[in-house]
Amino acid sequence: MTELGLGVVTLAYEQTGRPDSDAVDATLAASGDASAFERLYRHHLPRVYSLVRRMLNDEDADEVTQDVFVRAWQKLGTFRGEAAFGTWLHRLAVNVILARRETLGTRRKRYLEGDAVLETLPTRRPGPELAMDFESAMERLPDGAKEVFVLHDVEGYRHEEIAEMLGLATGTSKSQLHRARLALRRHLER
Amino acid sequence: MTDRWMDRLSEYLDGELPTTDRAALEAHLETCSNCSALLADLRRVVDRAQGVEEYLPKRDLWPGIASRIGATPAAAPQIARRWSFSMPQLAAAAIFLMTLSGGTVWLLRSSALSPTTGPVATAPAPTLAPVTVNAPGNSASQSYSAAIADLERVLAGGRGRLDTTTVRVIEQNLAAIDRAIAQAQQALMADPANLYLNTHLAETMRRKLDLLRQAATLVPVS
Repeated sequence: MTELGLGVVTLAYEQTGRPDSDAVDATLAASGDASAFERLYRHHLPRVYSLVRRMLNDEDADEVTQDVFVRAWQKLGTFRGEAAFGTWLHRLAVNVILARRETLGTRRKRYLEGDAVLETLPTRRPGPELAMDFESAMERLPDGAKEVFVLHDVEGYRHEEIAEMLGLATGTSKSQLHRARLALRRHLER
Repeated sequence: MTDRWMDRLSEYLDGELPTTDRAALEAHLETCSNCSALLADLRRVVDRAQGVEEYLPKRDLWPGIASRIGATPAAAPQIARRWSFSMPQLAAAAIFLMTLSGGTVWLLRSSALSPTTGPVATAPAPTLAPVTVNAPGNSASQSYSAAIADLERVLAGGRGRLDTTTVRVIEQNLAAIDRAIAQAQQALMADPANLYLNTHLAETMRRKLDLLRQAATLVPVS
């Protein structure tokens, strides 16, 4: 009976698990099925939109998110199912975001060294009127530190992956992350 | 207020310090309250980052995307369909699945009519007959099987014209569904009136039908 019970659990996963559905939908979408692609869009929108908004800004988030999905549609033929569709899409999203950063032309100095990162954020003072919440503090980080922090601590990428994506040395990725964390620790909700 | 370990605390937190450095830092943490406090703060930052909520756009972004990729509600797939569905068979299959669902509803209602629930308890308790999934001689079941066989033939015939990755994905999913069906049928033999299993089997069979229908549309015109 135990084996039977486990089998039922497996059934439930296989029936409802998104990875299976994603693979089928990605295959259908690659053949031109827009409704399958819309299902992929609906399922992955929150994570993609959140990534765009955190790595860029609220103002450009809608447009860049649309760019990500249009790009995904165009590149579906290169999705071979070796990784989960979500992983593939996310990586593509990072590339679109970084390309957009290059064209915005309003970026702040990227990889500030030493305590310069800490100085980009005002010290949190007591009192709700002056308090900056954690998300706002994240937005105020210099672009380089913010990219590394979002990719590592929010999105779960490893330093090696981040270094490859951003064209950095792994050590730079680690030091930017540490500086970002030091800056943000002053804005933790107490 | 700072020491040489302070800049290594994130690496320590992420498990990226070499073993010897890790041991040395742990020894240092036992005596340095500043580093211990900072480490606790950094850990809270990481926890906070991992707990941030997802944003959603204030408007639906799909219409803009659909417009840019050329998708409209009436847009047809780029690959022409060689095969038109065998409607009588699919209709019969649909009826079969509806029968299963109906059986499930009946079972649910029957369960609700518990002998211990007041006035209704005086009514004769319904017999929980097993749902006859794939029962021999069941014409709806036969129609379902025929529809499945027909779709499988279409897919087998067009297999050589499909991309190998597509074929692999389809076969993997069909294999998973077939395993699910077999396991559910086996489970139902031991517990024929189980609501979950009956519902699950009906949904899984429906899923197989849907997947085969979708896969058949992928077969390009020869």
